[in-house]
Amino acid sequence: MTVRNIASICNMGTNASALEKDIGPEQFPINEHYFGLVNFGNTCYCNSVLQALYFCRPFRENVLSYKAQQKKKENLLTCLADLFHSIATQKKKVGVIPPKKFISRLRKENDLFDNYMQQDAHEFLNYLLNTIADILQEEKKQEKQNGKLKNGNMNEAEENNKQELTWVHEIFQGTLTNETRCLNCETVSSKDEDFLDLSVDVEQNTSITHCLRDFSNTETLCSEQKYYCETCCSKQEAQKRMRVKKLPMILALHLKRFKYMEQLHRYTKLSYRVVFPLELRLFNTSGDAVNLDRMYDLVAVVVHCGSGPNRGHYITIVKSHGFWLLFDDDIVEKIDAQAIEEFYGLTSDISKNSESGYILFYQSRE
Amino acid sequence: MAAEGGGKEMNEIKTQFTTREGLYKLLSHSEYSRPNRVPFNSQGSNPVRVSFVNVNDQSGNGDRLCFNVGRELYFYIYKGVRKAADLSKPIDKRIYKGTQPTCHDFNHLTATAESVSLLVGFSAGQVQLIDPIKKETSKLFNEERLIDKSRVTCVKWVPGSESLFLVAHSSGNMYLYNVEHTCGTTAPHYQLLKQGESFAVHTCKSKSTRNPLLKWTVGEGALNEFAFSPDGKFLACVSQDGFLRVFNFDSVELHGTMKSYFGGLLCVCWSPDGKYIVTGGEDDLVTVWSFVDCRVIARGHGHKSWVSVVAFDPYTTSVEESDPMEFSGSDEDFQDLHFGRDRANSTQSRLSKRNSTDSRPVSVTYRFGSVGQDTQLCLWDLTEDILFPHQPLSRARTHTNVMNATSPPAGSGGTNPGSNGNSITTPGNSVPPPLPRSNSLPHSAVSNAGSKSSVMDGAIASGVSKFATLSLHDRKERHHEKDHKRNHSMGHISSKSSDKLNLVTKTKTDPAKTLGTPLCPRMEDVPLLEPLICKKIAHERLTVLIFLEDCIVTACQEGFICTWARPGKVGLLSSQNQANSPSGTVV
Repeated sequence: MTVRNIASICNMGTNASALEKDIGPEQFPINEHYFGLVNFGNTCYCNSVLQALYFCRPFRENVLSYKAQQKKKENLLTCLADLFHSIATQKKKVGVIPPKKFISRLRKENDLFDNYMQQDAHEFLNYLLNTIADILQEEKKQEKQNGKLKNGNMNEAEENNKQELTWVHEIFQGTLTNETRCLNCETVSSKDEDFLDLSVDVEQNTSITHCLRDFSNTETLCSEQKYYCETCCSKQEAQKRMRVKKLPMILALHLKRFKYMEQLHRYTKLSYRVVFPLELRLFNTSGDAVNLDRMYDLVAVVVHCGSGPNRGHYITIVKSHGFWLLFDDDIVEKIDAQAIEEFYGLTSDISKNSESGYILFYQSRE
Repeated sequence: MAAEGGGKEMNEIKTQFTTREGLYKLLSHSEYSRPNRVPFNSQGSNPVRVSFVNVNDQSGNGDRLCFNVGRELYFYIYKGVRKAADLSKPIDKRIYKGTQPTCHDFNHLTATAESVSLLVGFSAGQVQLIDPIKKETSKLFNEERLIDKSRVTCVKWVPGSESLFLVAHSSGNMYLYNVEHTCGTTAPHYQLLKQGESFAVHTCKSKSTRNPLLKWTVGEGALNEFAFSPDGKFLACVSQDGFLRVFNFDSVELHGTMKSYFGGLLCVCWSPDGKYIVTGGEDDLVTVWSFVDCRVIARGHGHKSWVSVVAFDPYTTSVEESDPMEFSGSDEDFQDLHFGRDRANSTQSRLSKRNSTDSRPVSVTYRFGSVGQDTQLCLWDLTEDILFPHQPLSRARTHTNVMNATSPPAGSGGTNPGSNGNSITTPGNSVPPPLPRSNSLPHSAVSNAGSKSSVMDGAIASGVSKFATLSLHDRKERHHEKDHKRNHSMGHISSKSSDKLNLVTKTKTDPAKTLGTPLCPRMEDVPLLEPLICKKIAHERLTVLIFLEDCIVTACQEGFICTWARPGKVGLLSSQNQANSPSGTVV
């Protein structure tokens, strides 16, 4: 491992300066650092998501200010904060960093990631965001209890019922409203559901806009899927529609490219060509909320390269200060905005092997 | 899950479809492609494009077509619906190394049976002038790539000219060339001619006349396509920044702008009478924009992915009580520019005259089509109720518009003359003057208010009461005063166009704040069209849509150029086929 690391870092030296030259000394943004992450054996799923999150500005800023707070007991978030801090405070503008502490903490905390196997980047993103939210919520609870002990305030019942919203929620959380109309009594019941990212089905030769419209298409619940209507007090046929009611600050879209094939008893990759624009508005919103037509800008894309979930590689493209960068573990390159089209997927159904967008991060402009 | 079954159904590729005019049928024998008919592996290559020309020979077989596939360029006799395609004998075939053809255009003015002038743009920025009949390479422009290194996105002859042509690049620049001039041996030096916030035009500073004559810088990001108006006077440009910009080509003035709902705009076309512009883009929508009123009049949703080509069908577009010939074939008839120009003008003035004097608008239907990356063809009808909405509809829309203080042309194209004279004080329901371009001052003032209000709009939740409107009125009048002064201070650029420039300067400041302004109305503020038909017609994304008299021509990224016979035109070929077996057509 050490030998390999040294080799890759040496390699990086020439590569990094090439990147600096590519961007140009005048154009290179002040206080910005582009650092590749060393792969510790199939950890590209982690590296790719960490890079994407680092370039989601509100997320990065919150992680860095968490680091600035007083010393805490080590957890996944402190490890992430240390990693982000070490990138942000590098003397050099470009280079490579081994995210060693973060990876070992991750492996310690979750059995799922405690191996050298291929992991799903979306699963990791989900785990990371939820873990950070849990840590922050726990800390808020602790703080409150400490405060209470000092002040002797005792309105516990109210406080415990409310789940504290953390900055993870403020950044990523949106709300879906699930409207079900009973076809017997016509009663509409709606249920709200929070999300940190949306997982959408993909179809050949479509756009992410279409996939999102499809996500919200009316679905009829019948035969075995009948819906229990409270008004009718029985199972009835119903129509269901899911729309976005509250739009998140950062909209993370997971393209469901891995599909379980019953006959093969394994997952296969749908390399469909799904185009995603640099600007996005949602059509599948429900009418009664504010700011539903806000404009989103694409800020990062986690790309899956390969033919299946257990074989392949993850890379990330991010937008930073107006230009696009490609992070492939320890390699960082500047790419042309037009090169993004290489990551839409394939129009031919024959080949499964593709470099195709897997998680899209859109940031709200307002 | 549920999508699985549906997905399979949708994989069926249609070979015919029916509209109210009748049955359109794919003529499988009229398919043009590379001679070996092998699908081209299209990943990562430039879009396949098709250009037509009529060489005016006496035989009646004057149609020629040119298309690019990968690094190859083909030139064939086009037999249309009459005869099967003969792929064994291309008149000309070229294979390029190191650079790929991206687009091309014939000069319709100079085309004869012995010689045609074909311009070809390339992925590395060069432009070639070739004659595929004489098979001579006449000229190469931007050969050393000193003028622009980026991909050529669109190349077209300037209407009515035998020597001037315009070339757009993915750099966002556009250059005017003259075939008679050289490109020089050094990089050109430019001198500013005219500037607005979203565009600049430079002349080439040189002792001897050289190319490029002009350099246009338009918007941000790639300039994806441009289209000249039927009379050749105006130029519509669509860019990756999501803006449509319409210029008066000769005076280099900005006539109007529009912003996509989101994402880049990829394609643009004019209605045969020059009154409407349709765009398609990365929002999966087609957007109809009124040239006269400078506003969005409708959007259309039917595609499942980006829209790559939009085109009007001049043969199905009809205006009642007027000779349908007036409208047909203006694209093909560039040979006679003066005639074309007069004709378009007369049609336009007659239409607008009627609109402004009659209480009832004329019966007009425009047909246009679109193809997209979803491999679908959509046909759309623009009918009277969209073009000239009656009072109840426009009033209903006024309510939503009022709080945005939408710009002057929020009323319909002059259907209600005299009800609200002043467009400044009645923003929502105003009626534009018959010649709004002559009245550009209130224009700029009001749309300034529009952009101001959108800033407020961000702060105030949708559904604000009418009180907001009242306060906006006050603001508007104050700003009006300011604008007036600023107009004068900008006079040094061009007194003639300063108010227009001001309009741009004001509205283009922040693209994010365009929503709810006339630049980009909210979805609920303009009618949403549904396609007449929406059919999957190819395996690969579609890149060409051309309406000819007898047929519709489509092409996909695999390099197959398909001919769809119009209703009643199908029999022509099938009778031929009975006489000649498909293999017999080689003879």
